[in-house]
Amino acid sequence: MKCGKTPLSFRGIAWCNLKRRPFRTVCLISLVAVLACVLFGGSAIIGSVVSGTDGLSKRLGADILILPSGYDKTIEGILLRGEPSTFFMEREWAEKIYEVEGVIAASPQLMVASFNASCCSIPAQIIGIEQDTDFIVEPWIRTSLPGRLSDGDIVVGGAVSGKPGGRLNFFGREYRIAAKMENTGTGFDGSIFMDMDSARRAARDRSEMTGDPPPPGGAISSVAVLTDGRFTPNAMADRIYSRFGYGKSGIAVVPAKEIIGNVSGGLRTLAGFVTAFAAVLWLLCVLALSVVFSVMTNERKREFGILRSLGITRKKLASLVVLESAAISAAGGLTGIFLSALLILPFRVYIKTTISMPYMHMPPAQMLAAAAGSLAVSFAAGMLASLCSSARICARETYGVIREGDA
Amino acid sequence: MIIEALCLKKKYFRDENSFMAVDGASLSVGEGEFVCVTGRSGSGKTTLLNMLAGLLPPDSGSVTFEGREYGGMNDDELSELRNTRLGYIMQGPGVLANFTVTQNVILPHVISGREGDPTDRAMSLLEQTGIRGLAAQYPSSLSGGELRRVAVARALLMSPKLLIADEPTGDLDEETTRGIMDLFSSIAKEGTAILMVTHDAETARRCDRRYDMKAGRITSPGAHLG
Repeated sequence: MKCGKTPLSFRGIAWCNLKRRPFRTVCLISLVAVLACVLFGGSAIIGSVVSGTDGLSKRLGADILILPSGYDKTIEGILLRGEPSTFFMEREWAEKIYEVEGVIAASPQLMVASFNASCCSIPAQIIGIEQDTDFIVEPWIRTSLPGRLSDGDIVVGGAVSGKPGGRLNFFGREYRIAAKMENTGTGFDGSIFMDMDSARRAARDRSEMTGDPPPPGGAISSVAVLTDGRFTPNAMADRIYSRFGYGKSGIAVVPAKEIIGNVSGGLRTLAGFVTAFAAVLWLLCVLALSVVFSVMTNERKREFGILRSLGITRKKLASLVVLESAAISAAGGLTGIFLSALLILPFRVYIKTTISMPYMHMPPAQMLAAAAGSLAVSFAAGMLASLCSSARICARETYGVIREGDA
Repeated sequence: MIIEALCLKKKYFRDENSFMAVDGASLSVGEGEFVCVTGRSGSGKTTLLNMLAGLLPPDSGSVTFEGREYGGMNDDELSELRNTRLGYIMQGPGVLANFTVTQNVILPHVISGREGDPTDRAMSLLEQTGIRGLAAQYPSSLSGGELRRVAVARALLMSPKLLIADEPTGDLDEETTRGIMDLFSSIAKEGTAILMVTHDAETARRCDRRYDMKAGRITSPGAHLG
């Protein structure tokens, strides 16, 4: 639609009013854009984090994790933040735990951290799994890899660079990428999975390079436990502790939900803050827009008076104002969301690192829903603000409006 | 009669005091008549005109346009009347700054929602008012007289039965005033009734009849001139 051309349409009146007042229009659009930007940015980040922890909760699958005493925070770092670590415990803990009443599966893992040096292609968490007993990673490795993992084969997380058939080096030894998993939004995305024997060999290679004491024969790092559900994870933890002795056993029994629960609790608080901030921002924005629309309406009293004298009805005049504000709100909303996406999407890795939350993960559908929601809320703010002004102006006597416009 | 007002009253409040802006004014305008309302500033002429245009409801009294009383009409009906049957030229530059001269002129057609392109009619009215060459200009580049001509052309677009003009020559020079008055005389001769407010006695001499107003009252009841 071109302003200045005839014939002019009713929508053209609104368009020309916006186009011929570029400063006013840009200011109003910017105000709505800021609101939409914050709403979308906030909901996208919080949504990603919540979605990531949900994914982690589903993928972990274990009720309890058995770790060397004092390593409960370390496993949290591995699972949630992708912080590589190396620690060991004795293999027999897997059998011991399996014998406890209520345990239906117990599978060991071995954690080995590679490092940023010429010996290793990338710094990553190497996780050795026992393919016969594993119930945590095996089911979703199966979706990427139909057969078993052979010696020297690895499966890489979604964030690891490298394609199936490619090679990665760890501690001077070459491994073949057998499969690559989808991104999960968890610490597993940066991990390397291999069978237990390969992982033990990697641990020995590592200790040779670092000079650290070699891992004990048949070493493991953790045992993932699945229970029959008769006891709560906390009650099971108490039963394990009482069987092997508190403090003396040298193990930590951590209900899996506690790991995620700590994060979830923090996230709930964070989400609450963001929601409250967004609500306050929305109110402020409605207020600011109301003031701006009100000032604008006052400025335009003579214009509205002229239109009334030309025969525009109150309803049509209100619809003209609403049409203008709808265009402003829509343009502002879309601009804000676009800018927010422009900031978030290319820098999501940086944001993950900055806020130490690698489990940020938001499926496109959820991202679109967040965009639609932010657009709707920003649009509503603009419309609400203009409706008040247009209702006020339409309720006035036309001659009064013209006289005030002249004053 | 095109329009007939009977005993119109309008009271205004200023601070805590009230005063009668229009106090029992009655007048009428017939088809093709050119009628003036004169009086000093503050005598209630503009308030009277706005009541006649349906822009301001009177406190009491009635206005009848082509046999229909305003009191029985809702906003949609009054708006349609202003849009199609009654052209109104308000005091001062009553054009919209965001639109070109042509767009300003065709605004009543756009508001009416009617089909068709009124550009040709607008161009002929601009020709008639002597500003066709300014059709593509925005109001900011026009003089006071030119703006008034735009308002006149716009008021005539829908071929109204009555043209109401509030001080159409108020701030114009002698030559431009003469041009506008010549235009009004020719419009009236073509059958469109004109009711014009002016405080200039010389301008008022061009009208067929004249009402004088003083302190909200009509003091000379529409005497024929010349």
